[in-house]
Amino acid sequence: MAAEAAAALEGSEPVDLAKHPSGIIPTLQNIVSTVNLDCKLDLKAIALQARNAEYNPKRFAAVIMRIREPKTTALIFASGKMVCTGAKSEQQSKLAARKYARIIQKLGFPAKFKDFKIQNIVGSCDVKFPIRLEGLAYSHGAFSSYEPELFPGLIYRMKQPKIVLLIFVSGKIVLTGAKVRDETYTAFENIYPVLTEFRKVQQ
Amino acid sequence: MATFELYRRSTIGMCLTETLDEMVSSGTLSPELAIQVLVQFDKSMTEALENQVKSKVSIKGHLHTYRFCDNVWTFILTEASFKNEETTEQVGKVKIVACDSKLLSQ
Repeated sequence: MAAEAAAALEGSEPVDLAKHPSGIIPTLQNIVSTVNLDCKLDLKAIALQARNAEYNPKRFAAVIMRIREPKTTALIFASGKMVCTGAKSEQQSKLAARKYARIIQKLGFPAKFKDFKIQNIVGSCDVKFPIRLEGLAYSHGAFSSYEPELFPGLIYRMKQPKIVLLIFVSGKIVLTGAKVRDETYTAFENIYPVLTEFRKVQQ
Repeated sequence: MATFELYRRSTIGMCLTETLDEMVSSGTLSPELAIQVLVQFDKSMTEALENQVKSKVSIKGHLHTYRFCDNVWTFILTEASFKNEETTEQVGKVKIVACDSKLLSQ
């Protein structure tokens, strides 16, 4: 899936224009998922036995563990709940979460794999033209927050789908808050005509 | 002064421990005195590295494994290069154990 998006961005593979009328497919950058291993965990024992683990209970009440493939980070809590971050696709996030669960099992805990859920999907893309953020903020006031002295991007809180977009003058866009990738895609197709409307004309 | 027992696993620390063991088993040294020598070794190593060693070494390699638990960092590096002002040494595999000396003064 990631390869498909990357290929589409480079123009080596045709984009499905029925699904992506803009001709641009946002690239998924980060997936956050959670799963319940459904057993109490001894975090110190895990930190001592597992590789690539950090445990500093004074600062944070979870073991932070990393694997290289898929390149991800997991937060593992004593309750058995786990958060997996950093994957580039839903499947990779699930595969990584399974690998962490397997590591916990190998250390002797009766870990299950309950209620796996994708919690957030972050995507980004580049429309390759500059955008007049003030104009956009003014005409979409109900959804926009643009405070250049606080943050250089315009924060656009779309209602349907419920996605937050960060829109930058450069034409770079970040989309976050999706539970499924189609929400990211729909949000981008919704905003694209607005972006073209507020395209900045170079002097 | 509290100290780490970290340096007992160094070559010089192992040699000292071996010698003390021998002396204790042959009866030339009491176990209590042997322990006292080791405690003094911990202090002397800490102090010597803090006050007498001026040279700096930089270590660069591929991080194979890391761990942070009980305020101790453990790193395993592969293809590491140790560099100081004069020379560079290549090491295939090296394990680094590091403690935070600030924890001793607390």
